[in-house]
Amino acid sequence: MPVTENESWRPKILAFCCNWCTYTGADLAGLSRMKYPADVRIIRVPCSSRVNPQFIIRAFQKGCDGVLVCGCHPGDCHYCSGNYYTRRRFMLMKRLLEYNGLDPRRFTARWISGSEAAKFRDTIIEATENIRALGPMERSPENE
Amino acid sequence: MNDAQELLRQSARRLLESGGVSLVIGWESARGSERTRPAFIRSPEEAERLVWNRHCVNSTAKYLLNYRFAAEKTAVCARDCDTRAINRMIADKQLGREQIYIIGLPCPGMENAACLRCRHRNPLVYDELIGSPAEEQDPGGRFAGVEELEALPVQERRRFWQEQFSRCIRCYACRNVCPACSCRECYADQYRTGWQGKQMNAEENRIYGLTRAYHVGDRCIECGECERVCPMGIPVMLQTGKILRDINAIYGSCECGLSSEEIPVLGSYELGDLDEFN
Amino acid sequence: MELKKSELVNVLRLLSDGRELFVPGLSGGIKQYVLWQGGMPLLDGENTLLPPKDILFPKTEKMYSYRGGKNAGIQEIVSAPRRVIFGLRPCDIHSIKCMDMVFTGEGQTDSFYARRREGCLLIGVSCPQAGENCFCEAMGLDPNSSGSADIFLTDGGDSYSAAAYSSRGAAELERWKPFLRDGEQAVSHTHCSLAPGMSEELSRWLLEHFDDDELWLGSSQACLGCGVCSFVCPSCYCFDIENDGSPSQGTAFRCWDSCMFSDYNQNAGGHNPRPTKKERLRNRYLHKLVYFSQRHGVNLCTGCGRCISKCPAHLDIAGFIEKASEVCHDRA
Repeated sequence: MPVTENESWRPKILAFCCNWCTYTGADLAGLSRMKYPADVRIIRVPCSSRVNPQFIIRAFQKGCDGVLVCGCHPGDCHYCSGNYYTRRRFMLMKRLLEYNGLDPRRFTARWISGSEAAKFRDTIIEATENIRALGPMERSPENE
Repeated sequence: MNDAQELLRQSARRLLESGGVSLVIGWESARGSERTRPAFIRSPEEAERLVWNRHCVNSTAKYLLNYRFAAEKTAVCARDCDTRAINRMIADKQLGREQIYIIGLPCPGMENAACLRCRHRNPLVYDELIGSPAEEQDPGGRFAGVEELEALPVQERRRFWQEQFSRCIRCYACRNVCPACSCRECYADQYRTGWQGKQMNAEENRIYGLTRAYHVGDRCIECGECERVCPMGIPVMLQTGKILRDINAIYGSCECGLSSEEIPVLGSYELGDLDEFN
Repeated sequence: MELKKSELVNVLRLLSDGRELFVPGLSGGIKQYVLWQGGMPLLDGENTLLPPKDILFPKTEKMYSYRGGKNAGIQEIVSAPRRVIFGLRPCDIHSIKCMDMVFTGEGQTDSFYARRREGCLLIGVSCPQAGENCFCEAMGLDPNSSGSADIFLTDGGDSYSAAAYSSRGAAELERWKPFLRDGEQAVSHTHCSLAPGMSEELSRWLLEHFDDDELWLGSSQACLGCGVCSFVCPSCYCFDIENDGSPSQGTAFRCWDSCMFSDYNQNAGGHNPRPTKKERLRNRYLHKLVYFSQRHGVNLCTGCGRCISKCPAHLDIAGFIEKASEVCHDRA
């Protein structure tokens, strides 16, 4: 449900960024003084295929309202084939999560290269706007 | 099936006497006339205990993992679902084909809900076959349950799975009976903070259910044992079924356990794989 | 005193006033103890699938929260609800009696269990129908009566005979006066479906044959090593304690555990004194049939038959007793 009364709520968005491409792109966005919402928290991973699907479920359980997984474009992986596995993994995991009741707008996977600072900025802005519209993630009291 | 039962006993006797086999895994009568349990026959005299009837519901194949270091071969009574389980374990490098002797049994279907959806009644691989070939059925609706759930709005789906995960009592019967679950140490048994909490609440159950579904999903042989053993009646196959359905839709026709040399979908890739993440 | 079944709902209303009242009902299609929502509970037919132990000994409960660092401290999480469990059959009443011995006997008190138990009134009923795997009589119980609950209701068809077996039960029965009247003492005649021959002699024999591979291996090979038997058993009380959180803050919780799990006895150095299913099944059966009775005088197994009904591999403790009994007498 969208939150309208409590204006002080800020979404928590977790972004897994691969060290060689996306993280570099994010760095470039910073150097270029691009503006994007500060609601995103970045976790640097050596490769997008380092992201275990359980991280996504845990992130939602432990307080995140949105999750991003970003890596190199297929073909450009620093480890040659890591992101080919990422691609298959998250094609299936995204669908599994949605099937289990996760709103599709909460989880995004995207390829962002080291020079695509603008794409990084646009991705964060889009994700933040989507999550803001959706409101906080439903959480079970037992996880508090 | 009574003739087949007698032939089965004769085969077991012969194998134990002179066939280089030290153990035959099959079924024996349990309490009452409508129940059997897995039998472990070690001598020709004990072969009398073996039965073959409509109440032989347990999968026999998984037990082979307990005997993979035996000095002699282990024989196993195997219906199609058991042979697919064997293929699964060989493909996962948990078992060697040369360690087992497969007594193939064409199966008319057991007193088990999973058998209504069965698409293969004749064993795929065997060292000897007992009984005449069974007539295949075409039950259709392989992913009917999954599609029905997919059609519901997202909030309904969340409510449905919240209810299912609340019921789980974490007995791990689904994992222990599954031929695709053969890790020497399951992630759920590892004491690593943050991974799998031992609390039996809906959220930790969700981690367990989704993780197991994901670990197994691209290798599931759709035998239905997980659903049969669940004491709470949770529709476990609706999770692995979803992954299989998506695999079929995106990566082409996929059915696991048909050969002992398959490479799982999540363990491989194609350069031209469908890509939605641009 | 007699309570007509048509008056039962009035009594339930009384019981649920200011207290949480648990009765046999359906939840998610599974017969188990649920909070009473009005109407007649599911007292007839077979016993619940899930035992009532969750009410006194929850599947998961937080024990305390802790904080490290400068303001280090521990905060116990206290839960002492006022509850009533209505509709307990003698097998389940016995299981609570066993758990009382473990958690509040022996000079030690498990405060988490004790607080819940202290505030809980137990109301039993005579067994209306034995399940197909019931054998409580072989375990020394009577399906038609029990003196270990606070109040026991004997089913006499269209009414119950009510009797109190504790001062708390007597005080409660006083409050039911408007709905009670004089009547004939009802007699229930339910008998078990199975009658395995458990005896002291067999008990001793089982211990003597601790190393008899054929006896234990024969029963344990089909076992899958899951926890179904332990979790549907009314008298299994093993638990694990773990932390949820970081060294700087978190909670400690406990949850059910099963001796059938392969890592149940895993030691820190890597050694496992019960390395295979044979040792674990032997331990489970001996605990239920021998060790507990040696220590406390009563069998831990209540003969409720739930493990037999629900075991995925169709293992059967009553069948084991029958077979062992045969072998014991053959060899005698």
